[in-house]
Parts: sequence; structure tokens; C-alpha cells
Amino acid sequence: MPKCLVCYKWTLDEQDIKVKPEDLSLDSSRAKGKISDFDRNAIEEAALLVEKNGGAVDALSYGTASVKQSLKDALSRGPEKAYWIADASAETADASVTAMVLAAAIRKIGQYDLILCGEGSSDLFNQQTAPRLAALLDMPCLSFVNKLSLDGDTVTATRKLEDCEEVVTVKTPVVIGVLSEINKPRIPSLKQVLGAAKKPNEEIRIADLGLKPEDIQPKAVRKSVKGFVMHRKNVIFKESSAADRVAKLKASLASEGLC
Amino acid sequence: MNFELTEEQQLIGQSARDFAKEYLEPIAVELDHTGDFPKKAVNALAKHDFLGLLIPGDLGGAEAGFVSYVEVIENLSRYCAAVASIVNNHTIAAYAIQNWGTAEQKKKYLPGMAKGEILGGFAIFEHGPTPGVGADALVAIKQDVGYVLNGKKAFVRNAGEAGVYVVFATTDPALGAKALTAFLVEADAIGVKVGEKLETMGLKGCPVADITFENVVIPETAVLGAVNEGTAISAKALAVASVAEAAQTVGIGQAAVEHAAAYAKQRVQFGKPVATLQAIQTLLAEVATDCHLARLGLQNAALLIEEGKPFEVEAAMIKSFLVRLGSKMLLDTCQVEGGFGYSEFMPLPRMFRDIAGTNLLDAPGDFPEKLIAASIA
Repeated sequence: MPKCLVCYKWTLDEQDIKVKPEDLSLDSSRAKGKISDFDRNAIEEAALLVEKNGGAVDALSYGTASVKQSLKDALSRGPEKAYWIADASAETADASVTAMVLAAAIRKIGQYDLILCGEGSSDLFNQQTAPRLAALLDMPCLSFVNKLSLDGDTVTATRKLEDCEEVVTVKTPVVIGVLSEINKPRIPSLKQVLGAAKKPNEEIRIADLGLKPEDIQPKAVRKSVKGFVMHRKNVIFKESSAADRVAKLKASLASEGLC
Repeated sequence: MNFELTEEQQLIGQSARDFAKEYLEPIAVELDHTGDFPKKAVNALAKHDFLGLLIPGDLGGAEAGFVSYVEVIENLSRYCAAVASIVNNHTIAAYAIQNWGTAEQKKKYLPGMAKGEILGGFAIFEHGPTPGVGADALVAIKQDVGYVLNGKKAFVRNAGEAGVYVVFATTDPALGAKALTAFLVEADAIGVKVGEKLETMGLKGCPVADITFENVVIPETAVLGAVNEGTAISAKALAVASVAEAAQTVGIGQAAVEHAAAYAKQRVQFGKPVATLQAIQTLLAEVATDCHLARLGLQNAALLIEEGKPFEVEAAMIKSFLVRLGSKMLLDTCQVEGGFGYSEFMPLPRMFRDIAGTNLLDAPGDFPEKLIAASIA
């Protein structure tokens, strides 16, 4: 029976983030947290695999102090235990740091047959956690997975590539990055929400992971984040006849490759 | 003092919102047109434990508390207040059984109500001036077999769909309301006749009908609470219901103001979005403020209920506040959307009818202002 681990990220809900019109900086002061969208698919897929094949699911997250707020949400979705690493380094962590911390934590927690991640996070969408994690743990990696099944220790996955679908099999252990279309995350029932508080969770301190200071130094340093505003072109066609105005509009769209 | 919902309460609210988006938003318009009972949605509500939210865990409920309950009702009402109304009427019947029922009555009904196998109805109103008085008053006469019920209850929600009704009848016509007693009457009892479904202004899909009782024989064990305790039971249950209905009103109002704000941002007049015009900003700001203050008031009343403290005055205040301002929220948001807001292809007319239905059809046992005034003078 498979032992699964889902790595998830606690992000700000982008719907609550406002762009300040004066300098396009982001105001996230009133933004609530949420489990990153694709990571919810990863949790759901692990829960479905275990419901079908038996086994167990744990969850693991690395974030700032706010990551603790995610535990009941994550546990209400199926995992039996949650591990969490709350550290200020997560504020500036790039994909290399995140993968390094997660891999060290997984080595500490124990062995898993399947390690699932969302294909990309809701905020940065770097799509690097699964492949980097696989490299660090010396496991195969299947990314862009939109269908998954398990038979003994053989995983069959469908990978959605740019212009084709690829079906692959691999022996466990394996790291898998899932796409959003793989499933529809469940809406936790009230009993599942209230039951989450009774499930165990364990803090892992970053100092106990045996990492070197340079391991948690981001290689990519974020200088700024600004909102993107698409400006209207404000083109008005004033030709006298409707036919001429339509012709002008059509030509204009064609010139931009839109028709 | 803490105004923050707990993590569980926030997650329950989020579950309710996700549920409403998935199950209620797609059917809200159709329900408003057909008025058909949304059986599938009600089954899904049960599966997610929303029908047993207040029911104790050992009887199959989620036992999540009244603050979570109003959070759920607000979020369901944002997408379909008719379904929230079904839940409210079911829950108030379960609440009455939970609070005044015997151990046998609780065991008989509450597990099925939590699972959604039995829907509840609360039959208090009559066509006369007050229950127990008037030509059609429901009268329960004690006989050897138990009680025999004759008469009529009016405007019963969930009528025809409920499996059990909490029914109020006078045990002595001469005493009228003073002898009001609560009974548990099963829908399939011989002589229970559900009248034609009433065409209502709003909340379509939540069935409303009169129920006639013709020589309905029920055992003595069907008395809920003590004989002649009905007025006290109904007053407390309706006060609790008024807080749940306030959550329904706030949910509709919040959905309306969010819709109007989104509209105002994209509707361009005089060369700029109308959201930048002071007149529009005033309308939106006032509705958002009313919603916010009403939410604080109803959460406060809900917490008092959850903690078993006196809550009736606070419930009356929030009721009084929303009777004045509930429909105004929709008038003002429709005003923001102008001709579009008045058009049936937009959601605001439906919300307008639903908010009016929420405020018109429900009433506490007394005028809320009377209760409030009595508390201060």
C-alpha cells in the first residue's frame, strides 16, 4: 500500500491582492491565505489514490510563520498528518531553496512511495519544485501529469505536453507534478473540517535539517513585484459610413494578427 | 475581545462558499423561474453535513456551533437564498427538537435530520391574529388515544417536503395562545394535508403552503416540551431563527454590493468608470457599511446563542436594523446598475425579491422594537 506525501504551498489569495494605481505596487495587507491551487489538486489526487489502493497520505509545507494557519485546511482534505516548517527564509526563498528545504525535511521524516506536488504555485508558478525535489532525492520525476494510477509499485501517468499526451510508467519511489485538470478538489464537509483539529501535526525546525547557510540563500533575488495594467488603445473609428468603420476595424485587427 | 472567526469557523465558511459556487450558483436562476424544490442540492447539503450543523455529534450532527451556522447561511445566501431558507427552516425545527425534545424524540428524529433523510418544517403561523386564536386556529384536544388535531397552519416553509413538522396548537380554545403547545407531527400522519404551494414574491424553490389538520391523531409522546409551553418555545425558536435570517439578508446584500461594485468598475460613462463618480461611491459605501455592521451584530447575537447567554434583545436589534435596511441594500445596488440592474437577465431583481421575502415572511414572536424598548426603559 502506497505511502504518499504531498508538498503544498500556503500562498496569498490573489483575488484579495490589489494593485495600487499610483505606483503599481501590490497591496496584500488584506489578503487571506490559501493552499496554492494546483497543490489542492495534488492533495486530492493523493487522497483518491489512498482511498482506492489503501496506504496513507501525509502533508508537508515550508513557509513563513503563517504556514501554521494552513494545517487544518490541509488536514481536512485527506492527509492523516501534517509536517510544517515555519521560517523567515521562506519569505525570499526561490525554487532552489524551497526544494532544498523540502528534500532535507523528507529525508528526516522518512521514506515515501509517491511525493506529489502541484505543477506550479499560484503566486510564482516557477514549476520547479517537483523536478528539483526529484533531483535532490535521486528519484524519477513525472511532470505535467493529468492522469495517475497505481498498480503495486508501478505508477502509470499521463503527461499533458504542448501538442500531445504521453503515457509513461515508472516504479516507485517517484516525484510527481500534477496539473489542475487531474481532478476536482473536494469541498471538505463540516465533519472533515472539525476532524482536522484532532489529526496530528509536527513542526520541523529548519535548524534541525542539517542545511548549510548557503543552502537557504536564494540564487534568484526578487528586486520588485509590480502589477501589470493593460492600457486601452482608445482608438475610435470616425468614418462616416458604418461599412467604412467596420472595414477600418477589421484592418486594424488584422494588422495585429487578431483576425 | 476578539472579532476574528476561529480557523474552523473560517474554513466552514469557505466550505459553504465553495459548496454554494459549485451546487447553488448554477441552479439559482432556474429555481427562481420554476420554483421547483432543489432535491439534488438538498442531498448535497446533507452530504457535506450542513443539515446537521447544530445537531450533537452523538446524534450524527457536526455540532459546529451557531457562529459557524450563520457563517454558512451567509455564504449559501450569497448564491441562492432560497436554498439557505430551506436550511434555516429545517434547522430551526431540529433546534426545537434538540432543545425541548425528550431523549427518545431526539434519537428518533435528529440522526435522520442530520443525514438529510428527514427534512424539518416549523409550523407556527396561522391566518388569525395570533396562533391559537381565530376561526382556523389549530386545536389539539386531549383524548384517550393522545391528541386530536384540527385546524390549519399558514405559510409553512418546507411544506410538502418535510418529513416532520414542529407544530404549534392550542390545547384549549378558550385560552388560545396561553395554551399553545408544541407537537411533533410526521408528514404522513393520517389527516395531514399540505395545501397548494403558494406563489411567493421571492425565495422560490423553498416551498410555502398552508397545512390542514383533519382529525390528526398523535400520541402523547409527540408533545414537544411541556404542555402549554408552546409560546415560550416558539418565542425562543423564532428569536434564534431571526438571527439565522439576518445572516440570509446579509448574504444577499453582500452579493448584491459585490455585483454592483464589479458592474460600476466596468461600466464607462462620461469617459470613465461610474465607480469613480461620487454618487455611485456613496451608494456602494452605504450598502457595504450596512452589510458590515449587520454582520457584526448578527455574529455577536450568534455567539451569545452559542454560549447559552441571553440573546433575544441583540437578535431583536439586528432584526429591526435589517427590516429597515435590508430591502434598501437592493434598491441602492439596483440604482448603481441603472437600467441593467432593473433587468431580469441580471441577478439583482432576484436578490431583491429574495431579500424582501427574507424580511417579510419571518417575524419574531413580538415586534422587535417592543423587546428592545423594554430592555432599556
